[in-house]
Amino acid sequence: MRTTKENLVIAISMALFVLLLSLVLAVGGLGYILPPPQVRLIASWYLRVTFNPFERLFSAMAPEGVTSIVWDFRGLDTLFETTVFYLAIIGSIAIARGVIGGHKEVDEKKLGLSLIVKSVTRISLGMILAVAASIALHGHLTPGGGFQGGASAAVAPLILLVVFSRYFIEKHGITKNTMLILRSIGLFGIGMTAFIVVIIALASGAPAFVFQNQPKTIAPTGMPFEIGGALTGGTLWFFNVFEMVAVAAGFTIIFLLLAIPEEEYKKILRLGGGEHE
Amino acid sequence: MDAKWLGKWAGVSILVFITYIIFSGSISGYDLLTGAIVAVIVGGLVANFVITEPRKLLEVGRLGWLIVYAIYYFFAAEVRAHLDVMKRILHPRMPINPAIVRIPYRVETDYAMTLIANSITNTPGTVVVDLDPEKKIFYVHWIDAKTLEAEKARKHVSESFEYYAKRIFD
Repeated sequence: MRTTKENLVIAISMALFVLLLSLVLAVGGLGYILPPPQVRLIASWYLRVTFNPFERLFSAMAPEGVTSIVWDFRGLDTLFETTVFYLAIIGSIAIARGVIGGHKEVDEKKLGLSLIVKSVTRISLGMILAVAASIALHGHLTPGGGFQGGASAAVAPLILLVVFSRYFIEKHGITKNTMLILRSIGLFGIGMTAFIVVIIALASGAPAFVFQNQPKTIAPTGMPFEIGGALTGGTLWFFNVFEMVAVAAGFTIIFLLLAIPEEEYKKILRLGGGEHE
Repeated sequence: MDAKWLGKWAGVSILVFITYIIFSGSISGYDLLTGAIVAVIVGGLVANFVITEPRKLLEVGRLGWLIVYAIYYFFAAEVRAHLDVMKRILHPRMPINPAIVRIPYRVETDYAMTLIANSITNTPGTVVVDLDPEKKIFYVHWIDAKTLEAEKARKHVSESFEYYAKRIFD
């Protein structure tokens, strides 16, 4: 137990620390906060071309700057980011190979939290998925996108896992294998979207780039940026939808693996070594 | 694909569609179309999980009771409970008499029970700390326990909530 005097000293020194730090920041002691003007030119260029029908050859034709950068201007980079995330999940699955986690045949009513929490979860489950889908499907218009939508959608299996237990959700089809299939469908979709303009251009024999969205000077084929007056952002819409599926399924796999009790892992791992009893 | 499942599917889809439109904050053609597609898919996925008796969705009287209850709860029950707790906080002697009491409930469905429990918890002064679904009893922490007898406590705390919950969900 700390005495009142010690608590007082801690409180005063914390307050002094925050005050001094803000003073240092205010007088520029940690360097200039704003980047130099030559770096800010990039920002103004992105603002100019993110949605600009008068400079279509440079534009991503979607009003959301971040999504335009993530899936158009530096789309290849994002593809490899998604790949890294997928490899991390493959790694987790490889570590947990052979770990089944025990199939308990127990009364569903006795698993998980109280009936009150379960009832509230039942109502909010569909609403969580609706919000997640809205975040992903408006990714090319407002802040959000595929990753954010997928992470929100993964909240639904996560609360099911906590409120109803892992045995319950695995019995209802949310298993590692079904999620792996969903994840693969999402990644396949992202891969196909990267080539979609190339495939369209092949029909007419025109040149095209991998990861192309809007028409460019030497590659005149492009995706329509609006359908019936509604902005779609060309390939951005497809990237967001497939990324949501891939991310939601990927997170769910990790949550399922983390919910396996430690003893189950040790049972399998000890079969190999055995000397660390 | 029996009629009962279709009813559940339709009910959940409507809830998902309304949530989607409110969250998106727009009713353009794009939102209505994508909202309908999302509602049909998500509704199909979670239908069995959310609704057990879709027939009750068609009984308009239940919706009427829900509206009456919402008005009663937020503008009468909540205000009364807030004033009571405010009085206790501001009173110089802080007149509290806390205890955990048993409060029985007599509704059948989980949703009706949840409505009563959350109504008790959300009014200041009373909190449901645990429940026993087999004996149908809430354990309620009460800031000013007027009685320790289960039936009398029920009259004080949850009788009016139960009256409406029974008509909305049971």
